[in-house]
Amino acid sequence: MKHTSGEFMQHAEAALADPGKVQRRDLLGLFMPLARDAAAERYGDFGALRAHLKRVRTHTMENLEHYLTRFEEAALRNGNQVHFAATAEQLNNTVLSICQAHGARRVAKGKSMVTEETALNEQLLKSGLEVIETDLGEYIIQQAGETPSHIVGPALHKSLPEIRQLFLDRHKLGERTLEQAEDIVAEARSILREQFLQADVGIIGANALIAENGSTMLVTNEGNGDLCANLPPVLIVCTTLERILPRAEDAMALQRLLVRSATGQAQTCYTSFYSGPQREDDVDGPLATHIILLDNKRTDILASDYSEILDCIRCGACLNHCPIYVGVGGHAYGWVYPGPMGSVLTPLLSSLEQSNALPNACTSCGRCAEVCPANIPLPDLLRDLRQEENRRQLDSPRWRRGMRLHAWFLRHPALYRRLGGWTMSFLALLGRRRGGFRRLPFAAGWTGTRDFPAPEGGTFMQQYRSRVKGRKHRG
Amino acid sequence: MAESARSEIMARLRANSRPETAEQIGQELAALGFASPAAPPAADHCISFMANVLANRGTVALAADRAEAVRVVGRYLYNRFRTHKLVAGNDPRIAAMPWRDAGVLPRFGTAENGDSAALSYARLGVAETGAIVTWTGRANPGRNNLLPEDHLVLVNREDVVATLEDAWQRIRRDLPAGSWPRGINFIAGPSSTADVEAQLIMGAHGPRRWHVILVGDTPAQALEEATGLSRAGG
Repeated sequence: MKHTSGEFMQHAEAALADPGKVQRRDLLGLFMPLARDAAAERYGDFGALRAHLKRVRTHTMENLEHYLTRFEEAALRNGNQVHFAATAEQLNNTVLSICQAHGARRVAKGKSMVTEETALNEQLLKSGLEVIETDLGEYIIQQAGETPSHIVGPALHKSLPEIRQLFLDRHKLGERTLEQAEDIVAEARSILREQFLQADVGIIGANALIAENGSTMLVTNEGNGDLCANLPPVLIVCTTLERILPRAEDAMALQRLLVRSATGQAQTCYTSFYSGPQREDDVDGPLATHIILLDNKRTDILASDYSEILDCIRCGACLNHCPIYVGVGGHAYGWVYPGPMGSVLTPLLSSLEQSNALPNACTSCGRCAEVCPANIPLPDLLRDLRQEENRRQLDSPRWRRGMRLHAWFLRHPALYRRLGGWTMSFLALLGRRRGGFRRLPFAAGWTGTRDFPAPEGGTFMQQYRSRVKGRKHRG
Repeated sequence: MAESARSEIMARLRANSRPETAEQIGQELAALGFASPAAPPAADHCISFMANVLANRGTVALAADRAEAVRVVGRYLYNRFRTHKLVAGNDPRIAAMPWRDAGVLPRFGTAENGDSAALSYARLGVAETGAIVTWTGRANPGRNNLLPEDHLVLVNREDVVATLEDAWQRIRRDLPAGSWPRGINFIAGPSSTADVEAQLIMGAHGPRRWHVILVGDTPAQALEEATGLSRAGG
């Protein structure tokens, strides 16, 4: 997938210019948090659940070699072939060689952000394989030649008329008109059912890897991943190292957090634990199963100050709660992972040089950290990336001059307070009549889209002092 | 290539892992304990189970025993499809049911594309989430959960456990070492999608309807109570 994170501002402006899409994103930003909050409340002490999973994740990450070894042993005992891939390219090559070894022509894929990260489809298509995405959202964007705009709902940026037109262009529809969303779903169902039945290889991702029994957990509502895992004669699970959890119960704790944070359900329609190829007692299922464990810089991240981003369970809650994501949408971020988690992960998986715009796409409002089920301090990690950007001089000279000036003032608090006080009094006097300013020098970025309110009363420090003094008098 | 990737990755992880013995790691993990389950909608976990099945957009019927279960399945099939066609895995519990009494003649085996209804005998029900648990094998091939239009599931009252942790305890008990199936499936609703303009639609790829029949001595008021709770909670 082409990486265009550097053009975040241009993407954002284009995204804001389409009122229909802006409205759909606003609705998403309104309703997804409501669904999540209601589900968290119905659960009970969601904070305790988050804290529990954090302790388990921390323990697992601190002993990752141990748990990865246990998982590998159990998975091999279960009859899987386990492959390691240090890079995206290695994962893609491994998948390709498995397909070729089995003489496969058709590949049916369940939703997998990891294979979006490695751009697996491009590689397979180039090598002459037919690849079909079977998650409805992924299918829609594959037909449209687009990329996911959301890690949970990849096609939520598309309207019903757009999808209808896409299907009219792509499918042989005859008299069918696909008026309702139900018709669209039924159409995709009938097309994809054939694909499941004909596929030579199924590819799925994993929401967790369970060290104690070597199973992979797959969480879906559509059941497409399960069809990929049960119908084709070969199954490949593409996943990453940090999905490991010690026990089945830990996967249940993760599942409780994941689905409530993602869709507001208590459990998705299908939560499946796949452990290997057909057993003696089986009458269906794959004859060969492969698990590919991708690193792609995760071991570097684990050793860095950003290791907590590896706790991310890909629920999408930080996207749904982020004013920037809801404002500009996922495509503005220019790569696979958008929103707050993507703004941390993208620079770490690619380079800060390529994507330093992303850590700046943040108002530090803190909503992402408030709702993150994995308790990842996203605003802190974004701030650290901005600091690194500054240290490595990747930000613009003008910005750096401004920051230096600001820093100098902050180191001289007496002067800062006096100058601040004067400025505010002056602005208060100037703005007294209108209550605000349409334009201010050096602040066109702010006043370009809204008025700057005239200050009322003293500065924060002035008010703070007078209140402390008042309390002392009373006490 | 693969072997070098493995040793490379393991070496990096070793450098970042704490130098502890497996025993120490096991003790640390045990000390972390398990998470708490979700607050149940009712004190009785069969009522919670039914309320959650309904909240998951399933339907629920009661059957006092297997003879009544046969009649319930027969009525369901007739109302939905005007046929008595049914496919079921080679589950001895299903085979032993008096199907002729309701004029239902199940085909025992694997569901195929185009089958209207499949019946599974669940290993467990989970009250916490309104899920049923099956595992793959002759008794319930994986396809039977996925290919039919409607998925009917029998679950015994005494097999309904309170929490997801209880479910795993039972799974470990019922599956002795060496008999671990290739797939363990928790199912909590008909197949659904919200990928078109975030509208929830049933029957994405798998069953359009999911009908759970609770087998055992359950008073009819229990189902009424569960229905009320699912409306209040949904």
